[in-house]
Amino acid sequence: MITRRGMLKGSMGVAVGTVYSGTLVSFLTGCGSDNNDNGNGEVVVMPGGLMVVNPILCVGCRRCEAACGWNHEGDCGPTIARVKVAHNMNYGPHGVQSNYYEQRGESGDFTLVPQTCHQCNVCMEVCPQKAISINEKTGAREVDESLCVGCGYCADKCPQQTIKVVRSKMKSVKCDLCQGEPNCAQVCTTGAIKFYTWEEAEEALEIYNNYTGLVG
Amino acid sequence: MAMNYGGWAGKVLWVNLTTSEIWTEPTEKYLDYLGGSGIGYKILWDHHVDGQLGTDPENVIVYSIGPLTGSGVICSGRMTVTSRSPATPGHLITDGHVGGHIGPEFKYAGYDALAVIGKANSPVWIRIEDDKVSIESATAIWGKGTFDSNAELTKLMGQDAQVFSIGQAGENLVPMSGFMTPGGHAAGGHGAVMGSKNLKGVGVHGTGTCTIKASRDEMRALDDHILGIIGSNNNNVVPSTPQSWAEYYSSGSRWKARDEIKWGAADEPVELGEVAWNERNRIGYRCSMAEMYVGVEYTNKWLKRMGGCHACPIRCYCEMKVPELKSRFKFKSEYITNTCGGFIWGNYLMPTTAGTEQYALTATAGAYLRDDYGIFSGYGLTHHIFKDMKTADLFKHLLSAEEFADVPWEQWDNNEPEFLVDLYKRVAFPDSYPHENALGRMMGDPVSYIDIWKLDGTNPAIDNWNIYAESNVHLFNRSMRHALHHASECASQVGTLINVIFNRDPMCHSHINVVNGGLPYDILAEVCAEKFGEGAFDPVKWYTPINQGKVNFAKWCVVKNVLHDSLTICNWVFPLIISPDKEKNYRGDSSIEAQMYSLVTGDKVTEEELDIMAERTVQLHRAFTALEMNSNDLRRDHDVLSDWVYDIDPDKNFGDQGTIKMDRDDIQKALGMFYEAWGWDSETGIPTRATLEKFGLGYAADKLAAKGLLPG
Repeated sequence: MITRRGMLKGSMGVAVGTVYSGTLVSFLTGCGSDNNDNGNGEVVVMPGGLMVVNPILCVGCRRCEAACGWNHEGDCGPTIARVKVAHNMNYGPHGVQSNYYEQRGESGDFTLVPQTCHQCNVCMEVCPQKAISINEKTGAREVDESLCVGCGYCADKCPQQTIKVVRSKMKSVKCDLCQGEPNCAQVCTTGAIKFYTWEEAEEALEIYNNYTGLVG
Repeated sequence: MAMNYGGWAGKVLWVNLTTSEIWTEPTEKYLDYLGGSGIGYKILWDHHVDGQLGTDPENVIVYSIGPLTGSGVICSGRMTVTSRSPATPGHLITDGHVGGHIGPEFKYAGYDALAVIGKANSPVWIRIEDDKVSIESATAIWGKGTFDSNAELTKLMGQDAQVFSIGQAGENLVPMSGFMTPGGHAAGGHGAVMGSKNLKGVGVHGTGTCTIKASRDEMRALDDHILGIIGSNNNNVVPSTPQSWAEYYSSGSRWKARDEIKWGAADEPVELGEVAWNERNRIGYRCSMAEMYVGVEYTNKWLKRMGGCHACPIRCYCEMKVPELKSRFKFKSEYITNTCGGFIWGNYLMPTTAGTEQYALTATAGAYLRDDYGIFSGYGLTHHIFKDMKTADLFKHLLSAEEFADVPWEQWDNNEPEFLVDLYKRVAFPDSYPHENALGRMMGDPVSYIDIWKLDGTNPAIDNWNIYAESNVHLFNRSMRHALHHASECASQVGTLINVIFNRDPMCHSHINVVNGGLPYDILAEVCAEKFGEGAFDPVKWYTPINQGKVNFAKWCVVKNVLHDSLTICNWVFPLIISPDKEKNYRGDSSIEAQMYSLVTGDKVTEEELDIMAERTVQLHRAFTALEMNSNDLRRDHDVLSDWVYDIDPDKNFGDQGTIKMDRDDIQKALGMFYEAWGWDSETGIPTRATLEKFGLGYAADKLAAKGLLPG
């Protein structure tokens, strides 16, 4: 298991293919560190960073979804938005439980747990078309729509469930960090969603992951 | 869709619960009415049947959204529900309004409206997943409250769905009932309509989008423009306390964020501090107005965060963790969220004192119970009635001895919020008592009980107590038997006229979003004079005779209100003709709605052109009211105020400083001027043929003429 210092050291002057596993990997992919013993859950750390939501501050206005849709597709809707608020909004990350009133979400303890792309490598690795690659400038994993055939492998495997295949064009869509100017963060009403460099990511993800499990 | 506009989804979904038929029709035929309440009123007009009740199977209920819903433009998360309402005399048409996220989900599923007609043989819910629509059994959830019902519907549909349901009050055909979505969003007045159809709820999941014609840069530029103008809830544009960034403050402002207030129940308490008007990424902290409902002490203990509707940056919902809800009241949840009246009504009913623990518990426990049962209060009317009658000790003369002995009056006398636990059960389950349960029935159907109990000053058993003479009851429109909702108590004849023409409390905040903005009177009066004419805005409780400026102001408010309910955007914040920006001389921009509409739909309109489209629905509403009431004189039959409006403060005269008293002759003159401003007959208040035809409503003129109701 790597330390945060080790991760940071490795992320400086990084080259494509620099591989880490462990704490940050599990934060990014949602897989526990034990899962990494067999080599799964590896992540390539690149310049740039990722978007993370602080569930304590999110107020569920979904302006991030709207701005994302406007920017990428010119329209508005949760399917085309790369940040996913609605999915966990009312009943938390695990859907309706028998004790829903104690779980996360608007019908529970009011903690909202929006999903963002953690810029891990899973989608890139499972894509049979090699349509997902790393933007050298931002570090974002980006879909090349000229190569994507909308097969949905990436969507099925995405640990954060933030990739969707948009029916109208049969292409996968995912967070590209808006080429370094993330629209979601620009319109956030409480500063709940922010861009974190890899340097900052571990702490932010630790807070986020406090809210992804079942309560109790 | 055939339409080449952005915004609209293009289809109206119909469900007939009697025949189980499901079909769609193009939205195009309703475009002249924009959407929301416009679609609702047009559909209801097309299906009008003389003498029909809201609970008749063939009465249509319409859940409708507009071209802006789900587009992401600011405050566009609303949905309108339109139907005949059992909560009005004669079951006249009304529209209710719900926020949250259900409206946008209809858009993403591909529908501008859902119209439901007929009655199912057994309890059902309507399941909508894009093009796949079905009628499902609700037998398993019939009898459950809205909290559990919404959870069950979501469990069946998956967590991406948005749902709403009625509680036991709607099931039991209590006229004062509504439906609820997750997150505490409600629409009142039509719960019993759903109950009468055996319709428990609706679930919607859409994978589509709201199409937008404008570019990303245009949308973001408008978004930024609005963020530079918008205030807090009710467009209060100053903070509630002196702050370093603000020239002015007003203690009544709903811009409550300051050093003393925190989201104290958050896992990491959030200290708010000052939130200046130009802090774009902190605007969501601005409102934080829970102290209005539970006081500062309990805000800092219980407020977890603010919430609200889709695409709204203001966040007026107070999401609170109240351990006592579980520990003391034995509710299964300790969480409750709502806003404004959702928290207030309990304290209108109980003899509480603001700032106390009882006050805070009454607010939150009351909200929990009403929301779960799906009880509507008519802007607190039923609660005012109860308190006034209880204070006057009238119930012992009106209830049977058995029922009177069954009510735990000592809990009310001792100021125990547990009284609400007992009372609301009586409201939601009217038939579940060994006695008549007249108290519960009255709270659920005050319109009928004014007659049954002869509360109009003709019952000697209660010393001829007269509900229309009691200012504390707040019953404002005597004919419609609805409560005041920002009427003469805060906005002179402007509020009065706004409270006259609808069939329920008007739910109009167009004037409040100006006059309660918090700026000094001179500035507000200047803004109103510029916009509407000299003398349009009087100081509160210091009123002058009616003038044309006030009439213009009132008409503008109603048009904007209906515009918002049609587009659909929030009338609890819009319109924005004042702003917190000193550099703008505190002026706002009344054309924002037109700018939003033009960008989203691609149909470029001016403010005036858009207002005309909204006024079309106002005109249709007025013609519809005459038709439903079979009235050829709405001044006589509809636009009648309670006596207390004129007789309050007997030691003062109309126009004196310190009174909200209106003058009978002045109001009759005001009505005539108001009618003329709309193009209605100045005596009867009914639209003329010329006016109806001007708005493309010749068919309404023909109908009124055929009934002998058209003036002239």
